[in-house]
Amino acid sequence: MKDLFTEIWESVRRNKLRTCLTGFAVSWGIFMLIVLLGAGNGLMNSFMQGRGTFASNSVSVGGGWTSKPYDGLKAGRRIRLDDTDVALTGSDTFADHVDKVSATVGTSATVSYGRKYFSGYIDGQYPAAQEMSKIEMRYGRFLNDKDIRDSRKVVVMPESTAERLLDNGQGVESLLGKYVKVGSLAFRVVGISKSDRMRNDNNLYAPFTTVKTVYGKGQEVGSISFTTKGLDTEAANDAFEKQYKAAINLHHRAAPDDERAVWVWNRAHQNVQMSQGRKILSTALWIIGLFTLLGGIVGVSNIMLITVKERTHEFGIRKAIGASPWDITKLIISESISITAFFGYIGMFLGMLTCMLLDKTLGQSTMSVMDEQIAMLVNPGVGLDVAIEATLVLIIAGTLAGFFPARKAASVRPIEALRAE
Amino acid sequence: MLIELKNVNKTYNNGQPLHVLKGINLGIDSGEFVSIMGASGSGKSTLLNIIGILDNYDTGEYYIDGRLIKNLTEKQAADYRNRMIGFIFQSFNLISFKTAVENVELPLFYQGVSRHKRHEMAMQFLDRLGLADWAGHYPNEMSGGQKQRVAIARALITQPKIILADEPTGALDSKTSEEVMQLLGQLNKEDGVTIIVVTHESGVANCTDKIVHIKDGIIGNIEDNREHRASMFGANTIMK
Repeated sequence: MKDLFTEIWESVRRNKLRTCLTGFAVSWGIFMLIVLLGAGNGLMNSFMQGRGTFASNSVSVGGGWTSKPYDGLKAGRRIRLDDTDVALTGSDTFADHVDKVSATVGTSATVSYGRKYFSGYIDGQYPAAQEMSKIEMRYGRFLNDKDIRDSRKVVVMPESTAERLLDNGQGVESLLGKYVKVGSLAFRVVGISKSDRMRNDNNLYAPFTTVKTVYGKGQEVGSISFTTKGLDTEAANDAFEKQYKAAINLHHRAAPDDERAVWVWNRAHQNVQMSQGRKILSTALWIIGLFTLLGGIVGVSNIMLITVKERTHEFGIRKAIGASPWDITKLIISESISITAFFGYIGMFLGMLTCMLLDKTLGQSTMSVMDEQIAMLVNPGVGLDVAIEATLVLIIAGTLAGFFPARKAASVRPIEALRAE
Repeated sequence: MLIELKNVNKTYNNGQPLHVLKGINLGIDSGEFVSIMGASGSGKSTLLNIIGILDNYDTGEYYIDGRLIKNLTEKQAADYRNRMIGFIFQSFNLISFKTAVENVELPLFYQGVSRHKRHEMAMQFLDRLGLADWAGHYPNEMSGGQKQRVAIARALITQPKIILADEPTGALDSKTSEEVMQLLGQLNKEDGVTIIVVTHESGVANCTDKIVHIKDGIIGNIEDNREHRASMFGANTIMK
């Protein structure tokens, strides 16, 4: 092994300039590949962050309007979800695929605290909503089962909502344990959650049972949310949705195949689309990167051809004293791989450095979209997997670049090689 | 018989077919010191290349040590060349970017001998040829005679049965030529190596014990030259 590297070094040393020039093309190719993939990842991460407010396996269900007549009832009837639907969702019928069930019911109300007030929306929730909607707590706690059972008059509000009830400079945590007025009733603040730009910031969360009794919603439920399990493919999701819709529809005397009687919003679909999009983007970037790299590879192949031409006589000597064709092939291919890998790693290193630089500059800047601050790039850069893939690409590329020149060198008969000069 | 050729024919097909060897029959015993002599175009170099397994022949049979050398793969041929034959060329054919000792080591490298061992052996052989002090020098820092001695060391290092020398004195002055030929003679006597020299110089041929004359691809007479009287200028002289 050491002998092989000595040979390669001897050869490269004699042709420094041309090796470096060609090596630059390889470095550039890998550099572009890494930077493109890194920036692409940053972009995708930015998208993902924007939509990361719901658990990816959560499904929301709401009432709609029937679109076809069924069971003697005409189309265009309003469907309102009720407690039975919640029970049905959580029943054994769907136990295979439904994990946690949560329902909401809500109403608008004026929220006030001291002199400050605003028109808000009180959202009756179950504790499961925290996980499903990815509600992060800043202070205090989220609603719990006891709140539900006892229909306690407690409320959790986002930070930004809390700020609206306080004078400037007052910390939101000071609101914990205080009572705010919702309509004409006092609710105790038990938690402050992180505000989320994707949701309205005048929402307050209160126990589902409380909202239902206090505001006299009867059997009615605003929407049902639940998390799914064991639905790995899009087909499985579709089949489940169809079955689920049919059951709910029938309960409301709507046609089982009526698409509009209830609406079902399954995030799994979006997830699939998102990951497909990610795949397409990264494939496109790989292709662009590989084509950039191709220029470098052709360059390496070219200098290897020149090297082989120049060294034909030397190879003749080597063959005469006992070098087999494979010895010669090995020499050329390993030289090619060495050049490609060495300059490739320089490019990879610089590419990763650039990704870090991007993180420090563009990664910190945000742009304003619809009043929301969205970071342009979030954690740009590539993982170990890409580094390993790129290494494989380099080795394959180096082998390919050296293959034809090596075959040429190995195939020359020793007697002809000795005559060459 | 160490080397045995039976009715070997060789034709070059570069445009006009050229029948270079027209049925060569030749036997060389182990320990002989033979020269193959002929004018340019007589086919002597082709014959040497076939004996050295650098080139292949069309028809006939060629045996080394009773082993038929025909239709070998490149790998087999390389292995035979490495283990059985040592080459000495007119233009030395040393690798210019390797030092003398590295050049000498090279055949052992292809045998897979360890770094340390082959260096030690190469130094031994260089020492024997009086070049120990020149081991670290590159070929372009040495004189023609020194280069040829390095090449001889390289040919000897695998301890081959046969040494093939193609015009070994062709690029040397008469004094150095004489030294080189004496060295070959000495190796033949002391180590019993079979040496075949191809030359067109009668003086060089005269240093050998047997002279095979080749003309137009056919072996002519084979002279017994143990008295070294073939040269008209007397024994042990090389006329340039």
